[in-house]
Amino acid sequence: MPFIAVVDDEEPIRKALKRLLRAAGLDAEGYASGQAFLEGAAMRRPDCVLLDLHMPSMSGQQLLAQIRKMAGRPPVVVITAHDTPETREQCLAAGAAAYLRKPLDDRMLLNAISAALSKSAVPGRR
Amino acid sequence: MAALLLMPARTWWVLLAAALPAHLLAELQSGVPLAMVLGWYVSNCSEALIGAALMRAFVPGPLRLDSFHSAGVFLLCGALAAPLASSFLDAALVKLIGWGQGDYLELVRMRFFANVLAELTIVPLIVSWVALGWRAWRSQPLVRHAEAVVVLLGVLGASLVAFDVPLFDANMAPALFYAPLPFLLWAAVRLGTAGTTTALAIMVVVTIWGAVHGLGPFSGGTPQDTAREMQLFLIVVSIPLLLLAVVLDERARTEREAHDQRLQLTHLSRVAMLGEMSGGLAHELNQPLTAILSNAQAAQTFIANKAIDDAELLEILRDIVGAEQRAAEVISRLRALFKSGETHMQRLDANELIREVMTLAHGDLVTRGIQAELRLAPILPPVKGDRIQLEQVMLNLIMNAAEAMTGPASSERMLTVSSIAVDGRAYLSFADRGPGFLPEMHEKLFEPYYTTKAQGLGLGLSISRSIILAHGGRMWGVSSPGRGATFHIALPTI
Repeated sequence: MPFIAVVDDEEPIRKALKRLLRAAGLDAEGYASGQAFLEGAAMRRPDCVLLDLHMPSMSGQQLLAQIRKMAGRPPVVVITAHDTPETREQCLAAGAAAYLRKPLDDRMLLNAISAALSKSAVPGRR
Repeated sequence: MAALLLMPARTWWVLLAAALPAHLLAELQSGVPLAMVLGWYVSNCSEALIGAALMRAFVPGPLRLDSFHSAGVFLLCGALAAPLASSFLDAALVKLIGWGQGDYLELVRMRFFANVLAELTIVPLIVSWVALGWRAWRSQPLVRHAEAVVVLLGVLGASLVAFDVPLFDANMAPALFYAPLPFLLWAAVRLGTAGTTTALAIMVVVTIWGAVHGLGPFSGGTPQDTAREMQLFLIVVSIPLLLLAVVLDERARTEREAHDQRLQLTHLSRVAMLGEMSGGLAHELNQPLTAILSNAQAAQTFIANKAIDDAELLEILRDIVGAEQRAAEVISRLRALFKSGETHMQRLDANELIREVMTLAHGDLVTRGIQAELRLAPILPPVKGDRIQLEQVMLNLIMNAAEAMTGPASSERMLTVSSIAVDGRAYLSFADRGPGFLPEMHEKLFEPYYTTKAQGLGLGLSISRSIILAHGGRMWGVSSPGRGATFHIALPTI
């Protein structure tokens, strides 16, 4: 069962997304900050990261850069409630597998995650 | 003349024609020959026409007696020029028909003063009441009506005492003249033009009645002397009081208009600020919407797969309700801020206001990567103020602080909002870690149209300071270049 990390500073969002992923048969864990995620990922590497862009202290974009340097480079699906063309471009250029705007439609989200998982599984892509 | 002044010129002939039957009915009863009655009709009509035409030339449209200019035009044209011109015609007709006694100039003089007093008393009374309108009069608070009754009864009582009791001591006459004056001044200051013209009309009627019945300080002389002295007295009293009432009304209206414009500008600046915050506000609404949608879709999948128990379903529904309430709260605060309206002073907890505006600004701060720290006094005495206006000031300071911190690294972006109560004042401060400003800019920042933002109007801080001043408070900014800026608000506590 693929393991998805949900990184969002807002607890109700983490809870709701975890539920949505569990309902779709995925294993999910929530992290309230970039720091919490980095600590958690050291113990259990996620297969995919659902990453909120706007978080205090370490922003989503900063964390995205760090994830891209991590061993295994898990694919990152960026989710944001404040969408601008510039951030979309920056995130995709920084290696995000997908960039989605909140509120998230379940099918769109799950499609993005499964596309990210299948891409990351292709040998030589990592 | 009053009717002509209120109506378009094309209808004047109808009004003058309609006055003929009433004039005939009134005058023929007193045994005056028909030729003289018709002569007076002609001279009266000429007076009304001359006055109305002259005034229309200087004040287009219906006369409202709402400015010093219109009152001046009325006094010069309606109360001086028209009676003067028509008095010559009137006296000539009287001599021609042979109805009056005395020489021509004496007749002119008598008619002139009588007509001036009539115009001064009746025309402003009608014009000012029409301008005030029934609705505006009805909408006045009860206490205002009570005050008007007291003032008008005062004028009536003082006039009766001064002009309608037999004069025992001729030396008392000068003092008696002044008896109605306090009430007349009261009317001019408090009741507006309509109230003043009513008060003057009461005094005129009571004075004429006394003089006709041989009572009061004007009695004792020949009828001509009595009439002349009384008319001169009433004219001299009426003119300054009428002007005073009009000028005070004009000033009050100008102040009201300025106040309305200030409110409008405050509202516009608030709406503009909310427009600037739209990205952050969208974030603030999208977050609970995400929670609602994801929870609902998760529940749908769980139910379809029959993989959920009642307890979990209940928890999901509870989370949906919680998120919905959060979105509703944001919308309700926004609605309140978008509204324009009168200032509504109430008892407020400044800490609560800070928390509320921080909720609205949260999205904006988060999207800018700014951390916010609240250092609120555990006990803060309430302040008296307008909730929306004070929230506007706080939002303005928060948004300024946020915009000042686009330069520093995101780990450095910190907004600190503090509150403290000292010596009967609540001090609220908003500190950023932006570039700050030079000491010489301390006051310039609050000047209207001064801005350092590319998109700003430069009205935010100036309006904010005027709001705080109107609340009896103070607002100022301190900064050391490179070490951020702090804006302080001091509000009196209650």
